Amino acid sequence: MVFFLIPTISGLGMSLFDWDFFSDPEYVGLDNFIELSQDKLFLTTLKNTALFALFATSGNVGLGMFIAIGINSIKWRWLKAFLRTAYFIPFVISTVVVALMFGFLLQESTGVVNYYLSRMGIDRIPWLSSSAWAFRSVVLIDVWKHVGFFTLIFLAGLQAIPGELYEAALVDGAGRRIRLTRITIPLLTPSLFFSLVIALIGAFQVFESMFVLTNGGPGDATRTVVMLLYREAFGSFNMGYAASMAVVLFFIILMLTVTQVRLGDRWVFYR
Amino acid sequence: MISAASSSNGRLIQLYGPLWDKLQHQWRAWTANVILALPLVLGSLVMFIPLLWAVSFSFGQPHEFFKLPPPVIPSAIRLDNYQGVFERVDFLRFFLNSVFVTGCVTVAQLITCSMGGYAFARLRFPGKRVIFILFLASMMVPQHVTLIPVFIIIRGMGLYNNLGALIVPYAASVFGTFLLKQFFETIPDDLEDAAKIDGAGFLQIYWRVMLPLAGPPLATLAILTFNSSWNNFFWPLIFINSAEKMTLPLGMIYLRGQDGVTNTGVLMAAIVLNLIPVLIFFMIFQRRLVEGVTLSGLKGT
Repeated sequence: MVFFLIPTISGLGMSLFDWDFFSDPEYVGLDNFIELSQDKLFLTTLKNTALFALFATSGNVGLGMFIAIGINSIKWRWLKAFLRTAYFIPFVISTVVVALMFGFLLQESTGVVNYYLSRMGIDRIPWLSSSAWAFRSVVLIDVWKHVGFFTLIFLAGLQAIPGELYEAALVDGAGRRIRLTRITIPLLTPSLFFSLVIALIGAFQVFESMFVLTNGGPGDATRTVVMLLYREAFGSFNMGYAASMAVVLFFIILMLTVTQVRLGDRWVFYR
Repeated sequence: MISAASSSNGRLIQLYGPLWDKLQHQWRAWTANVILALPLVLGSLVMFIPLLWAVSFSFGQPHEFFKLPPPVIPSAIRLDNYQGVFERVDFLRFFLNSVFVTGCVTVAQLITCSMGGYAFARLRFPGKRVIFILFLASMMVPQHVTLIPVFIIIRGMGLYNNLGALIVPYAASVFGTFLLKQFFETIPDDLEDAAKIDGAGFLQIYWRVMLPLAGPPLATLAILTFNSSWNNFFWPLIFINSAEKMTLPLGMIYLRGQDGVTNTGVLMAAIVLNLIPVLIFFMIFQRRLVEGVTLSGLKGT
């Protein structure tokens, strides 16, 4: 309780103060939020975070569903088990280690990845040194790390679909595609819904991979809200200002989740 | 003659036809499987290869990192880089800190979550519903909202730059409490009633009856907690500032700061040293881990 409820309330309250941690906090009302709405850097990080959330979520969830359906339709059990394990392994590795590893593999002139790409006739890609590519790299690494988790969730959803449905469809002469679009995908919508909610909440709080890999750069291309919050709070000790960022982030996540739940009623198929 | 031959042919078809059909059917199923599996297997290579590269480079010599083509297998297996890790930082200390913090967090969560879950599932106390809803709502609040107040509380408790700062805030979890509550609710009341008739008190029921039954969800919680605590980076980053208190993820960044890009081999060796315990853990608990993720996934749907 001490670490959930009190901090939440005081976190919300603190966003109304101007406080540098050492002197007494000064009540400034909504000034922090007004300042935030004019803070170019904050708006940039907000945009970065939103775009990251969009791409990482669709990549993770889309690819995860695709892989799960693929794995599920393989008949050999040993291969199924192998693939499930293979895709899940990156999930247990810490983000810091993943980021350090890719930081090395993706180096522009000496990196292994670029070497093999150039052997295949593809130009060297400035994975981490150009703004556009740094952003893409961070998204790709996020998908690499998390896709196995979503694959697992979809696999669980697929196993929950009763086999009789497919048998009945076969009797009615439904082909592969009909079975996929009329049985599998509708019955997977609860898993899809859950994955989307979780993935979005997680993506909006992204911090570690950028912090380690690019430190927000080049420029501010990969700086996220949480990174800015961290810098404001523990670099410049603008505690109140940082708290107000957290509040904005919280409300965005809350609004998105509520919207998703509302919209979810329309397309999620509940048995 | 001709008619005899054709009739024997017909016999052959009669005899072997079904077998042939079966073979053909199996062949089709086999090719369908291979066609489906091929892209997935190729995709899984993308998951493995970066790890293998890290292992390969961890044995390499400094000059090899800039050699093109990069050697797939290092020219010689040398342990210099591994030695380098231990020379530069107290890697063993990082490891032991991680073990200590993770161990404490996991044990603490098992106790608090099972007690909390049991209380929510069985006890009647005023305001139970309200407290439970508040509990669930706090799951939605990102840790960054509570970050600064928790920071102040931790400082106030004198735990700044202390391993306790990484343990105390994680000693209980909403997710775990929820998981255990759901489980305890599936246990029939009769069991408790029987224990009560035998004269068992409330705590005794919890300890002797409920806990032994809760093995599977407790194992799931333990493994998920272990994994997330082991990989936690954000909290150590904020609360720890001296090297001898660092856990592995923060220690890795510290190691990188020691000499930057010039010593990639050492960094790769440290990465491999990081991977080994995680992968061993994964191999042992794979089934439970998968179950845990699945379970938490199904709970949400």
